[in-house]
Amino acid sequence: MKNADFVDRLSLAEMGENRCGTVAQIEGDSRFISRIVSIGLTPGSAFTLLKNDKLSPVLVFCRDTVIAVNHKESSQIFVKVES
Amino acid sequence: MSEIKTIALLGQPNSGKSTLFNNLTGLHQRVGNWPGKTVEQAEGEFVFDGTTYKVIDLPGSYGLSANSEEEVVTRDYIQSGKADLVCILVDASQLERSLYMLADFVGIRLPVMLVLNMMDVAEAAGKKIDVAAIEKRLGVPVLGFSAAETERYPEFFKKMVSAIKTPVCLDSGSLREELVGGGELAEKTDNLISRIEAALGDFEYGVCEKIWIAEKLLEKDKLICGVVNEMLPFAHKNAIDAILDSEEGRDGGMLTGEAKYRWVSKIVRELATPKSIEKVFSKWDRIATHHIKGKFFAFGIMVVSLIACMILAFPGMGIGFGMQPVLQSLVERVGGALGVWPVVISFINLVLVGGTCITICMTSFIFAIIFVFRILEEIGYMARFSYAFDNWLSRLGLQGKAIMPLFSGIGCTAGAVCGTRVLDTRGQRLLALVLLWAIPCGSKVAVVLFLASTFFGSAAPLFGIGYVALIFASFYLSSRLFGKKLVPQNERVGMIMELPPYHKPHWKMIAAMVGRSTWGIFKKALKMILVVAALFWALSYAGDGNVENTLLYKIGNAIEPVTMFFGMRWELFVSYLGGMFSKEASLGIMSTLFNHTGEAFSLVTRVAASENLGEALASTISKPEALAFLFASMFNVPCVLAMGTTYREAGSFKWLATIMGYYLAISLGLAFIGYHIGLLIF
Repeated sequence: MKNADFVDRLSLAEMGENRCGTVAQIEGDSRFISRIVSIGLTPGSAFTLLKNDKLSPVLVFCRDTVIAVNHKESSQIFVKVES
Repeated sequence: MSEIKTIALLGQPNSGKSTLFNNLTGLHQRVGNWPGKTVEQAEGEFVFDGTTYKVIDLPGSYGLSANSEEEVVTRDYIQSGKADLVCILVDASQLERSLYMLADFVGIRLPVMLVLNMMDVAEAAGKKIDVAAIEKRLGVPVLGFSAAETERYPEFFKKMVSAIKTPVCLDSGSLREELVGGGELAEKTDNLISRIEAALGDFEYGVCEKIWIAEKLLEKDKLICGVVNEMLPFAHKNAIDAILDSEEGRDGGMLTGEAKYRWVSKIVRELATPKSIEKVFSKWDRIATHHIKGKFFAFGIMVVSLIACMILAFPGMGIGFGMQPVLQSLVERVGGALGVWPVVISFINLVLVGGTCITICMTSFIFAIIFVFRILEEIGYMARFSYAFDNWLSRLGLQGKAIMPLFSGIGCTAGAVCGTRVLDTRGQRLLALVLLWAIPCGSKVAVVLFLASTFFGSAAPLFGIGYVALIFASFYLSSRLFGKKLVPQNERVGMIMELPPYHKPHWKMIAAMVGRSTWGIFKKALKMILVVAALFWALSYAGDGNVENTLLYKIGNAIEPVTMFFGMRWELFVSYLGGMFSKEASLGIMSTLFNHTGEAFSLVTRVAASENLGEALASTISKPEALAFLFASMFNVPCVLAMGTTYREAGSFKWLATIMGYYLAISLGLAFIGYHIGLLIF
């Protein structure tokens, strides 16, 4: 079941600019998780994607804060995009 | 002796911790290393109402997980229980995210006080925060504050005194509710937390409650896992390992993180209004973060900053330069009239007066760089540098904002060295220091170009290009040699950072802070420069002014066989050594030795190069020797003040010696190669 939910899952790196979404899942080692959690991105956090031009880190607005996440790392963060 | 209370400052980067620390302790602070660690330890004191308060500025981190060395230091200190009060600073303008630190602190039984810093910024962004209600909800003292506004400090002291008088710890009850009840993942968490707590049995660990230990185990915190592994009986340990290895246990870090933020949200969403997104990400930032425009914009800022530095440094330089001849002739006249021995006059002029004036000149650029950097950091632009240049500099192992100190190295190495303080870890700072020494300051460029055009005329531009290529090659070498150790691969995770909101600079506070650090640097620099100048004076003094009667001449001649190995006759080698003091000294010494200008043989002579020094050099020195000296000058140690500030920033003599040794090896190595190739060609 679990896998079926994620067939069409989208990572932060693939998301379009100026769209809103929530974090669904974060993948990576505990070090990465701890870093990304402590800066404010956790499963269930609502955010707005401010910038994603594939050339510089992704910028999201979450919990009153503009957060920059490197492109490679942002592909480990999976999201649900609001339609 | 009155009693001493210890206050530890804990907060995320950009929470205004260092502003609070500086304003509390003023000049009464010491910066050293944590015992056995390479992390900077800032400690200071202040007296309020007859009580002495010791303030510990803990390294900034986003939470209490022990991932980096900085975070380990912070955790160790907190767990030692030495603090009478832990003052947790959060950024009121980013309340929800920054309260994570508080949530991570729940379960540690130490008295706390929460400071909602930058209330002014939050209010300007249209955010309303009900401080009294938050205080009531948390049950610990909470202060709405703005650390940069000095007139607000009485409020801080009042709160702090009462927080120490009636110490309260955070109650873990409400966080436990989030961990075990509520939320879609809570059922899993409940299961995990309770099971781990049960497995821990009657395990006790200092000031940490069991629930906190359980959280950290789920987050796979290395320190706690290690302690538990060591102290817990085998059966219990196995039980815990089994829980952590289970499917939900593997996601533990996310589960606890989510619960903590839920706990924070409940406080914040009722008691504070959020900011509007338009105010957060302005048009301004769209440009500053654009992958091309942002870099141009950043370069623009760098150039403007460099110009601003020159303008700011100008008055100090003028005073230093202008005073020297006036004072020196005054000393000569007064001394002569009083019949003072010439040796005393020489000492006063060449060591005391010259040394002081040169210190004023050199420190004024340091002042300018610290000032400009402080402003850039204060208004929040420094983080944008990181964003714009991270892709480039991460290849060297550095953060993007390292571009700023590296670039300002073109202006003045000693000042740029102070600017490396903007980097987050000591490893990053040291690596930036190593790279920085290769970047020639204005004076070094002038010396190198002078030598190249003197000896090689129209081929000089080739040397300019070659020099730039060598600098980049040295970057590569340095990052290969030092990078792996200073910035370990596992710390090189891609950028995950916040872009702090733009702030208005608080001029009064910036001026006070910059004034204090410049004064501190000036005093140390003066001592050092006077000692070096006195030493050189003793070696180079001759009663009759004849160079051949100086100690330096005798030593120089004695070691010439060795220095010739690198293609440098003794005169050139002494000039090379003089270049370690200042680039002007290098030229001044050459003037004395090759042009016999009658100028005093001294480090502090400010005549850059006497008129026909070029001709004198070209007629005496052979091309291979010139090549050797040119290469040696390119990678020579920057200057005495750069050594001083490097020592200050690196915090250890060992590192200063390492960096010096490294550049001596490069410059002498290149001199050797240049000389022997030159012998073949010319």
